[in-house]
Amino acid sequence: MDLEQVLACLTDGARQVLQADAATVCLLDEGGAHLTVAAVSGLPAALLRVGAGSPRPYMVEHSPLNGEALTGQPVIVADTRADPRAANVPGDYRSVLCVPLMHEDDPVGTLHVYAAVPQRFDEEDAVLLMSLAGLGAVAIAAIRLVLSLSKQLTAMKALEASKAHFIHVATHELRSPVAVAQSLMRGVLKGYAGELADEQAELFNRINRRLNFLESLINDLLDLAAGKAPELAEEEGPVLLNASVGRAMLFLQPRAEEKGLDMTLQSHRDRLIVWGTEDGLDRIFVNLMSNAVKYTPSGGAITVSVRRVEGQAQVEVTDTGIGIPEEAFSHMFEEFYRAPNAKAMDEVGTGLGLAIVKDLVDRYSGHIEVESKVGQGSTFTVTFPTLVGW
Amino acid sequence: MPKILAIEDDPDMLLALRMSLEANGYEMVAATTAREGLRKVKEVEPDLIILDVMLETTTAGFQASLQLRNPDPESEYAAYRHIPILMLTAIHTTTSLRLGPNEAYLPVDDFVDKPVDPDVLLEKVRTLIERSY
Repeated sequence: MDLEQVLACLTDGARQVLQADAATVCLLDEGGAHLTVAAVSGLPAALLRVGAGSPRPYMVEHSPLNGEALTGQPVIVADTRADPRAANVPGDYRSVLCVPLMHEDDPVGTLHVYAAVPQRFDEEDAVLLMSLAGLGAVAIAAIRLVLSLSKQLTAMKALEASKAHFIHVATHELRSPVAVAQSLMRGVLKGYAGELADEQAELFNRINRRLNFLESLINDLLDLAAGKAPELAEEEGPVLLNASVGRAMLFLQPRAEEKGLDMTLQSHRDRLIVWGTEDGLDRIFVNLMSNAVKYTPSGGAITVSVRRVEGQAQVEVTDTGIGIPEEAFSHMFEEFYRAPNAKAMDEVGTGLGLAIVKDLVDRYSGHIEVESKVGQGSTFTVTFPTLVGW
Repeated sequence: MPKILAIEDDPDMLLALRMSLEANGYEMVAATTAREGLRKVKEVEPDLIILDVMLETTTAGFQASLQLRNPDPESEYAAYRHIPILMLTAIHTTTSLRLGPNEAYLPVDDFVDKPVDPDVLLEKVRTLIERSY
């Protein structure tokens, strides 16, 4: 329901309840100095300049009737011809009852009812109209709040989208020169531009490591930006979770073997369909499994399990790695945060991997939990609602 | 000496490719636009084409591969359709898991990711040239 509908209900209702000939609502502007006729019932709209263009606001001080009502009291005019306060009453109405629309002790406007005969309204009518006006004022305040919130929300969304778009363009522009520099550097390190002295090789290796770090930072930023700009992301839909976990497994298993880790997959035979995008789900599991590989010393084990738990799809990545210290628990999903023991072990991490995971899991209405003990290992559990009937 | 045509608009990337290829017994010819590349295919008759995706437009590389692999026997590139194409891509970890050459989608023989790793590049070049003989 919008404001116009609420005001129409209010004027129609007031007319019916008090069996009046006409009713109007005037709303106060933010400064409290001007009133505007916002709705009429039973009156020719033209009389109040409603409908033909926007109604003109008028000064509260030029309307003694409204001025008095806005102090919080009902005003009864027994006969407009004998009451100087009724100078501006429209048409030929003889009786007027005017009450304030109060919300939490502040007036937001006035509600008027009119009758063609004099002496039409009494104190009882005033009490009745006051209570109706009270309800009306609450409804007006509620709708105004919703309007202002939705305006703020739209502005925030636009800001978020333009920020994400900027990051996306900027990272694309950054990736290209870094990739070229890396390609050149790798050729040089292979000795294809002439043999390198030991010291030169050592220096070029350092440069190469920094370039590799820059590359992973840019890629992570790009993922984060893509996740946060809905228009840049692949369209969401039903996705086969088992396949996504399988692909991530295929990708990481060679690295695990290289490092001497025992990496196993225990997969549910059911097809678990969840809501998301293939890229997004792949990213979640690649990130979780590559963390497990990265932070588990050789000889350790990584177990990935996929199962259905209480109608939900659950993926667990368990490692026997270095673990996450307690002080890192509240920060680990923050962008650029890295736990001290992770930093000490590997200089290449960007601190964006888990922020990306969290962002994506939230987008797909999932849930992530972590259990960990320093020196013993970590378990990341991701749960998604499953889709039935796909 | 096998000849390789590299169609790539970044001169430094061309230098990186040239460094690895020439050090390993290949001759490299460069083109910096798809249009120049297509012309040089006829001139040079290379044993392999390395093709970037983004050239004078964001999809010029794709367009060039479609022209080179046009199945029409009357196509002006019909005589060069057998030349293997290695496409340079800038798609990182996650997405490359699922992206493979596909006749219907993209008529190229293999991909090599940017940044280019010389070992990966040379292995793919060697395999594709051997296969085409």
